[in-house]
Amino acid sequence: MRQSRRDLIGRGAAIATGLLTYAFDGGRIALTPAEAHAAGMPYRTLDEPAVRCVNALGEALLPGSTAAGLAEYLDHQLSGPPADSMLMIKYLRVPAPFTDFYLSGLRAADASARMQHGKAVAELDPAAAAHLAGQMSAGQIPGWTGPPAAAFFFVLRSDAIDVAYGTQTGFQKLGVPYMAHIAPPTRWG
Amino acid sequence: MPLKTAAALPGLRLEKFDAIIVGSGAAGSAVAARLAEGGKRVVILEAGPARTAADLVSSTLYARRMKWTGPEVLDEGRNPVDFVFNAGFGTGGSAMHHYAVWPRMHAEDFDMRSRHDRGLDWPFGYEELRPYYDQVQQEVGIAGDARQEVWRPAGAPYPMPAVPVFAQGAAIARGFKHLGKTIAPLPLAVTTTNYQGRAKCLWDGWCDSGCPIGALANPLTIHLPRALAAGATLVNNAPVTRVVLNSAGTHAVGVEVAQHHTLHADVIVLAAFTVENSRLLLASATSGHSRGLGNAGDQVGRYVMTHAAGLVYGLFDEDTQPYMGASGGQLLNQDSYDKTTHRASGGFGSYQWMIAQAVKPNDLLGISTTRADLFGPELHTFMKRAARGFAGMTAVIEDLPLASNRITLTSRKDDNGVPIARVVHDTDPQSVALWKASLAEGKAVMSAAGAREVWTGPAGSMHIMGGTIMGTHPGNSVTNGYGQVHDIPNLLLAGPGLFPTSGGVNPTFTVHALAARTAQWLLGNWRSV
Repeated sequence: MRQSRRDLIGRGAAIATGLLTYAFDGGRIALTPAEAHAAGMPYRTLDEPAVRCVNALGEALLPGSTAAGLAEYLDHQLSGPPADSMLMIKYLRVPAPFTDFYLSGLRAADASARMQHGKAVAELDPAAAAHLAGQMSAGQIPGWTGPPAAAFFFVLRSDAIDVAYGTQTGFQKLGVPYMAHIAPPTRWG
Repeated sequence: MPLKTAAALPGLRLEKFDAIIVGSGAAGSAVAARLAEGGKRVVILEAGPARTAADLVSSTLYARRMKWTGPEVLDEGRNPVDFVFNAGFGTGGSAMHHYAVWPRMHAEDFDMRSRHDRGLDWPFGYEELRPYYDQVQQEVGIAGDARQEVWRPAGAPYPMPAVPVFAQGAAIARGFKHLGKTIAPLPLAVTTTNYQGRAKCLWDGWCDSGCPIGALANPLTIHLPRALAAGATLVNNAPVTRVVLNSAGTHAVGVEVAQHHTLHADVIVLAAFTVENSRLLLASATSGHSRGLGNAGDQVGRYVMTHAAGLVYGLFDEDTQPYMGASGGQLLNQDSYDKTTHRASGGFGSYQWMIAQAVKPNDLLGISTTRADLFGPELHTFMKRAARGFAGMTAVIEDLPLASNRITLTSRKDDNGVPIARVVHDTDPQSVALWKASLAEGKAVMSAAGAREVWTGPAGSMHIMGGTIMGTHPGNSVTNGYGQVHDIPNLLLAGPGLFPTSGGVNPTFTVHALAARTAQWLLGNWRSV
């Protein structure tokens, strides 16, 4: 069930330890990616087709990514200075800013889905979406015109894992003790 | 503490320093500490932002902010050096996220050309560097067991007891023992006891995020505090854009910072890591040095090297607790250090195994990336199994030095008007064969250890060396054995860019030994440079 933004504001201290920050009622609030998704916070960099595509691919790559706030996390990271970016793409010889890489990859995925199935990625059934993800992983995907498909698969998969398992809450889900010296400002979940 | 930002540069222009150190990483901070303690007036110019221990958040995500975010580097060739991943930006440079695996280079690394007619020779041998290894290991603190490390070249025993072996290390050790191979504790510049006022390590595997408790020997822990205590000044956000020479072109007189500020000193030490050191030399060309400083013999930028990673993984039924320990590992094997061990399979060179690295679920070196082929529900299943049964080890593969592997300038310029660099790196076929041999050996070890599943990873790049190598004359090198640029005596280089060969070991201990040697020589020969 989605929560209202005012509900979140009212949660005070829990929100103050969130990660994504948004302007709201003349101030700023901080939310975890999952909270931002639940509250339906607006996007700053990703447009609506891109968000739908991220969520559909995210579900194919790592089920549960939509509710975990993958699109909200990506949007936040892409909307800030590249020097502060925490995205794995930094390591992959892609020059900053990274928005073009993501948007062109998402457009390529949608174009390929339309060529093969006559509809966008977000409208595919789970089996077709999984097949498309497999084609991306292999770098052999019809109708793809964007960054290398296998690289795009790797990047988006890594982002999904970061959101699901790269946080204190994610470690807890795996039964891995976090053991922080300096804990991150949020548990992200 | 004398910490400053770029806003201080106008004031600093009026001051005359004894030495300007460009870069605050392992090499720069080590040289700065020694020169400052030797009574010299030192300023350290760091291109990146200020960082303190409080910035070292235990998070694989936050750790990515410590990697390179300076001017773009075009990272090309069949086997790129992965510059952004291997470099750092800000106080402490790449050493802030280094894993503190500190083995010594071996005697055969220093005279490979003479012994094997391959690669290059250093301008001196292991025995010349040995006392500096001994000195550095005492002041920094290395944990290890020299007696068990049967391959280790002669030197003083380690000052701290060996690192503990956790479940992951014990599991892989079974495989080495079963195959009759030797293992020893991994030498780590990490505290296993309270050492010189530093707390001992908690073995929580956050080395890659930067160690904020002082257990791991990064620049914030040891040499920067020493330098600052001795009066050195550290200026952040101060990108050096040019080395300035006197009108005759015979000596350096200072450096230009962000195009607008010139700071003056008697001695300039470039310690800005491999690519930036080469870039600065090339970008500082004058009419008298038309190809760049130190480049009379067309050697600047050549012989760039990296260590290919031989990545081998296993999944065990037992709880391996793969999150415990240090990011560098727990155990060492150097049975393949003899450069001819794998000649039958076409390989040449040395490698070592770093065994049982502490890993996190995510990140480039995390558990999830080892099976980059998995997705969907199967990926969740793998993550849950591997979180408790994963084990891994990494071979550090020697990279034969090739003159064609080179850093050059491009026609594009950064925000300060300095041409951006291109690095081209192709791995020699003999080094590729060595990497393949390591994977075969690693899979055999993991199977012998009882792993239910065994798999390997791609040859990623670890460490970046060469580009400004030391040698005997301008025709074969950029500097002499002290890092002194051949045709500009008061311009010195420090860091792994000086290495003529890479060896099959991690470079940071040798970086420190070289820095100690250079600083001692400088202090003893100040007037002559």
